[in-house]
Amino acid sequence: MLSRVPDLSPERRRETLADLRASLSAGHPGATPEAFTPASERLVRSGLSELDNALGGGFPRGVIVTLEGPQGSGRSSVLGRLLATATAGGGLAALIEAPAGPDGALYPPSLAAAGVDLARLLVVPVCDTPGVARAVDVVLRAAAFGVIAIPAVALPATAWTRLAGLTHRTGALLIALGETASDELRYFASVRVRLQPQRVRWAGGSGPFCALAESDVTATILKHKRAAPGKIARIACTTFECAGPPLVALRERVLDAPSMQRFVRRTVVAV
Amino acid sequence: MPIVCALVPSYKVEIARHFEPRLRARPLIVADRLERGHVIAVDDKAFLRGARTGMTLVQAGACVPRAAVAVDDPGRNRALWERILDALDAASPLVEDAAEGTALLEMRGIPGSHERWLTSVRTALASDGAFAGLTFALALAENKFVARTAARVRDGSIVRPGEERAFLAPLSLYALDLDERVVERLRLLGIKTLGELASLPHGPFVRRFGPPSARWHAYAGGVDDEPVIPRPRRLVIDGALYGEGTAEREEQLLFALRSLVARVAGDVASAGKRCGFLRLRIECEDGERLELPTLLAQATSQAGTMFDLLRAKLEGITLRSPVVGLLLGAERLEEGGTEFSLFAGNDPDPDVVAIALARLEAALGPRHALRATIVPGHRYETRVAYEPFSTQSLASPHVRPAPPAPKDDATLVYRMLERRAVEVLLAHGVPAAVEGRTVVDVAGPWRIDEGWWSEALDGVAAAHASDAYDVLLQDGALYRIVCERKRWWLVGAFD
Repeated sequence: MLSRVPDLSPERRRETLADLRASLSAGHPGATPEAFTPASERLVRSGLSELDNALGGGFPRGVIVTLEGPQGSGRSSVLGRLLATATAGGGLAALIEAPAGPDGALYPPSLAAAGVDLARLLVVPVCDTPGVARAVDVVLRAAAFGVIAIPAVALPATAWTRLAGLTHRTGALLIALGETASDELRYFASVRVRLQPQRVRWAGGSGPFCALAESDVTATILKHKRAAPGKIARIACTTFECAGPPLVALRERVLDAPSMQRFVRRTVVAV
Repeated sequence: MPIVCALVPSYKVEIARHFEPRLRARPLIVADRLERGHVIAVDDKAFLRGARTGMTLVQAGACVPRAAVAVDDPGRNRALWERILDALDAASPLVEDAAEGTALLEMRGIPGSHERWLTSVRTALASDGAFAGLTFALALAENKFVARTAARVRDGSIVRPGEERAFLAPLSLYALDLDERVVERLRLLGIKTLGELASLPHGPFVRRFGPPSARWHAYAGGVDDEPVIPRPRRLVIDGALYGEGTAEREEQLLFALRSLVARVAGDVASAGKRCGFLRLRIECEDGERLELPTLLAQATSQAGTMFDLLRAKLEGITLRSPVVGLLLGAERLEEGGTEFSLFAGNDPDPDVVAIALARLEAALGPRHALRATIVPGHRYETRVAYEPFSTQSLASPHVRPAPPAPKDDATLVYRMLERRAVEVLLAHGVPAAVEGRTVVDVAGPWRIDEGWWSEALDGVAAAHASDAYDVLLQDGALYRIVCERKRWWLVGAFD
């Protein structure tokens, strides 16, 4: 009905939706107001415009999302943006991690540089897969954490069924990070994003006078239950250690070429 | 009004030596921390060699090269001092906690003579072996200032009524704990003792040195009207459930617990209080006793919140035999009802978060619900500290800081990997391959050489020297590797 009125202002649209809700709840007691909530309220925006556009506006709430890719692919950088979004508005986020696992633990100062409010980030260190399941179950049941990150561990389908149900009920965004996702996780994830490093830029000369400046990665939407998959987004990840102006990249290493040994030297690439 | 002062001279130094007797052999410096620490107390030997409170540890170490350094532990100091105050309760009903290391006891109405009062305080202090070995200085006088000063001058001093002024007269101005600049100003006026200060006319002296000097003048004359302020008593409201059969199943136990919690919460509310800490004791048929201390996120008198937290705590516990008794104590009582904020907005409910934290603790054990903080340090791994996650700071500040300007790029996040030895192939002195994977780019080394001074200062070997490199491998992995004593370690990855 709304699509037939192209020049509807946002205020008018909100009023119409409110009227619709009122009339429906009067006439149909079973109708839920959530069905008429504008879609933007149910999204967690990463703030990375290309990635958000590829996802149809952002990561949907109430689902399981996987960020897959090898180390150095930028999955933690995307996670950092989502944790920053969750904590910026006064909300809470949870980070369940296995410090002794292959992916280690996220470094809090780099998260703080990404904009995460560390006071609002619950860190739960666990040592095994059942520990991850137990911790995420408790955190999800609290319904107080907007974004919850876990390692992409191999859990049985029954566990993922329960976690998917809890995630949907609480409206949280459950993010699983790993090199690959297990078959069960691939099935229960509503959104799967594959990240791949493309190029790395360095600043300065060589040796101790050289520093990592930024890394470009691509994010491919492998699966999306509510939007078209297959889209690709390019993301630039800058170093967290630069307190002043961004480092000026002086040389770069392209990683997507067939030969990894190709070395491109440029004069100046402004960041 | 006879007052006994029980004083532990140089409390922090005494406590450090009490817990580490080996420190008695050398001059002692107590610092707030080892790394970039500052001196907070020194013993007489270190003082004579020039070490002073407020110096950096390096400065103090230069003054007293052979001094031992102890790191202050405020929690431990406080716990022991509370225990000392508890022991002093046996000597007088009115005990003031003037400062850590200084207690004042009012002896009015207690039968006995001056000497017997001092003896009774000494007996009370000897009753607990936990602080045996600590040196106490006791003194008795008619007011707080004179009693405290007499305890500093000599253990066992008794200043009888009317003798205060004469007792204080020869003492130095430092007895008033004055600022060094004030002492210097008074010295320039020819005033060096309390007697000389007391003989000055009150009005002109106060006009010249400002309102605080009225108190100095009164003290110098042996006058201190301030009464003894009793320390707050720890009030506990508790309830017990015994002799009503046994609870064999979880539902029975929870049913009994629910009624007990309702009763205790009702008592707390009736007293107009809120409780911040619960202590549940469970007694089983086979004699097993289990104690569950539970910290509440915010003080409350709501039975539902208390019960949810205790139930979450019980989730991680298996009992071997039926439960025969429950005892629940509500501690850390505060005045007033539940506090609501007008500015809460969409803030998370602290009670809900507290229950989740209790459940995490029950499911995974302690130290599994943490909050990261950033601390000063030279190496990545020393810049992070973790503390228990608390709900105290969840309330929004009244004025929210402006959100950061949106950026279209992400921040490269570092991952701390479990440190493991790796094989690194060098070419021209820089890494060329890590574990057989070719290095295509490298930055570094960044050299860190720290902690070598710790051994000289306190005999603890904490030296660390390493060269760190960032390497880009052919498969796109960005690692941080470090070389320590010719061994290579993989410590982190940029992701």
